[in-house]
Amino acid sequence: MSVVLIGFAVLLFLILVIRMPIAFAMGVVGFLGFAILQGLSFDNVLSFRWTAALTLASNRVIGTVQDYNLSVIPLFILMGNLVTRSGLSQELYNASYAFLGHRKGGLAMSTVLACGGFSAICGSSLATSATMAKVSMPPMRKFGYADSLATASIAAGGTLGILIPPSVILVIYGLLTQTSIRELFAAGFIPGMLGIFLYMCAVRFVVWRNPAAGPAGERMGFKERMAALKSIWGVLLLFTIVMGGIYLGVFTPTEAAGIGAGGALIIGLSRRSLSFGGILETLVDTARTSGMLFCVVIGAFIFSDFITRAGLPDTLLNLVTALELSPMLVIMVILVIYVLLGMVFESLSMLLLTVPVFYPLVSSLGFDLVWFGIVVVVVTEISLITPPVGMNVFVLSAVLKDVKAGTIFKGVTPFWCADIVRLFIIVFIVPVSMFLPQFLYDQ
Amino acid sequence: MSIKGWIEKHYPEPNIYRWIGVVLEVVSATVLFSLMALTCVDVVGRYLFNNSINGAFELTQMGLAIMVFAQMPLITWRGSHVVVDLLDHVLGNRIVKVLGIFSVFIVSSSFYFLAIRIYELAERSLRRGEVSEYLKIPTGYLTEYIAIMSWVTAACMLTYGAYRVLKGNNESQQFGE
Amino acid sequence: AETTLHVATWLPPTSSQNSIVWPTWKQWVEKATEGRVEVVIENYTGDPKTIFDAVEDGVYDVGFSVNAYLPGRFKLASVAEIPGEITDAEVGSVALWHTYEKFFKADQEFRGLELLALFVHGPGQLNTNFPVKSLDDLKGKKMRIGGGLVNTLAERLEVTPVSAPAPKSYEMMQQGVVDGTFLPTSQQKTLRLSEVTTDLTLFPKGLYTTAFSIVMNPDTLESLSKKDRDAIMSVSGEKLSRLAGAAWGKEDQDGILEAKANGVKVIYLSEDDAIVKAMEKLEEGIDKAWIDSVSDRKVDAKAALAYFRKNVSELSQ
Ligand code: NA
Ligand code: NA
Repeated sequence: MSVVLIGFAVLLFLILVIRMPIAFAMGVVGFLGFAILQGLSFDNVLSFRWTAALTLASNRVIGTVQDYNLSVIPLFILMGNLVTRSGLSQELYNASYAFLGHRKGGLAMSTVLACGGFSAICGSSLATSATMAKVSMPPMRKFGYADSLATASIAAGGTLGILIPPSVILVIYGLLTQTSIRELFAAGFIPGMLGIFLYMCAVRFVVWRNPAAGPAGERMGFKERMAALKSIWGVLLLFTIVMGGIYLGVFTPTEAAGIGAGGALIIGLSRRSLSFGGILETLVDTARTSGMLFCVVIGAFIFSDFITRAGLPDTLLNLVTALELSPMLVIMVILVIYVLLGMVFESLSMLLLTVPVFYPLVSSLGFDLVWFGIVVVVVTEISLITPPVGMNVFVLSAVLKDVKAGTIFKGVTPFWCADIVRLFIIVFIVPVSMFLPQFLYDQ
Repeated sequence: MSIKGWIEKHYPEPNIYRWIGVVLEVVSATVLFSLMALTCVDVVGRYLFNNSINGAFELTQMGLAIMVFAQMPLITWRGSHVVVDLLDHVLGNRIVKVLGIFSVFIVSSSFYFLAIRIYELAERSLRRGEVSEYLKIPTGYLTEYIAIMSWVTAACMLTYGAYRVLKGNNESQQFGE
Repeated sequence: AETTLHVATWLPPTSSQNSIVWPTWKQWVEKATEGRVEVVIENYTGDPKTIFDAVEDGVYDVGFSVNAYLPGRFKLASVAEIPGEITDAEVGSVALWHTYEKFFKADQEFRGLELLALFVHGPGQLNTNFPVKSLDDLKGKKMRIGGGLVNTLAERLEVTPVSAPAPKSYEMMQQGVVDGTFLPTSQQKTLRLSEVTTDLTLFPKGLYTTAFSIVMNPDTLESLSKKDRDAIMSVSGEKLSRLAGAAWGKEDQDGILEAKANGVKVIYLSEDDAIVKAMEKLEEGIDKAWIDSVSDRKVDAKAALAYFRKNVSELSQ
């Protein structure tokens, strides 16, 4: 057991202080930890039979890069990237604006809504906020929105990218816990809608406290609204094809990613917004992101092999049983750990470090792993806007060079509170996440 | 923009590293495109014509491995792997460089030593005649490819990757997820 | 305990491998070695086909997997997978072990590994969401198949094969990605197929089966005292093969009951039915295909097949 604790300590040291790439830190610690469990010590470094540990790691490399289920990662990312290049994000924003822009704080609400819409075709939160920043920041500036409200609505809205399907994070969770990806996707939908609603409430709260932060925009007539609505057919069509196809059984969630990417390509080509060079750049960009993600997944697998062999999940379970904690209390403790870790880690690292440890415990306490997946993704979303390391906030301050990260963090506070409210709703009212998968897939 | 100009803009690496980067990225982009096309054709064929592509499953698996490992050298030497750089401004430039070199060393040796075992496993698999289910392709070849690309990654990282870190050119690109 | 054996397992905890086979073997080993050897069963989260390498190289001490997951490497045990050869899982498993002892051992397909047992699951049947009255009903239907000799049969039936691992069946059936799947009836319960199929058509001798191996790391075995080594081997081999075959076979009955309880139409075909005759005709020559496929092995394949058949018929009595 002490090996695991030392392992965790070394891992955190390597990641935080030595700033080693997280994939390799997890891989190296997992590899050496496993070797130590097999009898490696200072005295026998040279005579030790390294074969077992090396084969373990090699099998993880060979197996993971050929894992059919993981083909969704590059293909869903490709879909999001192609959609971004095709300029669909601008039209989503225009449509939201046409309906909400004339209200107080309406542009910020439009931003949240457009972020939600974009999340439905993009699997990543950072991509969602980076994309929406480009289209929604200029109009908010034009109407004199406070930087804090404007940027916070993008940063918070962007976090929806990993909850509303498709979602790369949900796919990775499904793989780590062997949970149905299709059910995870269905489960994320209502919590995502709830997120949009609560973020809008947060915007209303901000403009109620300080009306100058979010003045009203122009009111659009019925005709203009319809025109704006028409232009989002591309997004609607793509989302309908992907999710409808999964639901009707035309293809599996894994195949849906390929279909979605193909559909995005066709839409982009039909609108003449994709050039050959543009397509090539999108492909290269997607392949790079995927390669990086595969490394992290491999590292996480090797690390989880180590903690499984060390018996950590069993030890945790025995501890909980011995202390006679109520299952809900255990979940609360886990959530506190997540919110604390969320200060320091970005989303993917946090997921990979914690899920292998917690999911056997959560499952043996009788909780549904689909539900836990949604809970984990919501806390992961929260981590994206929790200081001091909030990746969405950093991405925004990188895209909008003249806005300080501090300003965004300050503006994000009401949204962060809305997130905590949503977290409690999802934890205590299970049907919020589980209704849809049960309705769709349980006969 | 001319092709030459495009390459110079996107691949600022010197000489041989530029060409390794260009060739491998074109390979990975092509494979990614094929993966997408394969899924679409397979699904459409199955749904409309009751005729799916035999071996689409294993072609996807192979394509995935080819794409990921073709990408490995470039993303590694460019420092695109996820790093938590929370303490960078506390540590100062010089220490960050030293730590960067340490990481270069760990990353390259991880690839180098693991690839030795991966190559041995590949040879063993070939010796025993393991083949894929439908297309009967010896699976060891793909495993050998993984080992070789790992060595290329280690070599590039130890040379150009280390040079980049020393030049202070180690701005890691962050993707997150 | 002086030594701990780490066992790599997969499949859901409810499967008989995990609920019966491993716990029983653990008891046997710990009793036979008077507690000097402890057995720890661990869940393997990687690809099951890599378990053979993981055991050979000492990542785990013991493990089990499907031979057909490594096409080209384990070909001999496929003798049991020839359509229509076995009557039930226990008989098939014991006959396979006997055939291995007498014929296959010399070829050393398992070099690098210590083979502890060979077993098969019950006869694979048709789990469909359409009625199967004749073989023509199957033509052009999308059927999920796993691998091994059943692929040849699927080809001859002119179905549209959709290749996927067994646990994907539920999802694919429910969504209509496939119209049916070849699996033993146990999966009506274990993989909850009874919720997504309408028809279960039972051929008297089934359509195929799948061979599994239980393997151990030779160095681990070597490192034990002779006494403990013998103790472990005394509760393995035929004894373990029989245990596993019986456990997997018992699951089949549970599966049929589950299917009936869920309103699945269960059709028991008899030897005289036209469709069974047609199927037998279609299966003709697959035994020859197996003999050809092992021509590169140091084995008298014809004699081995005859011996296997003799064992099956003797054990079935
Ligand atoms: Na999304
Ligand atoms: Na954070």
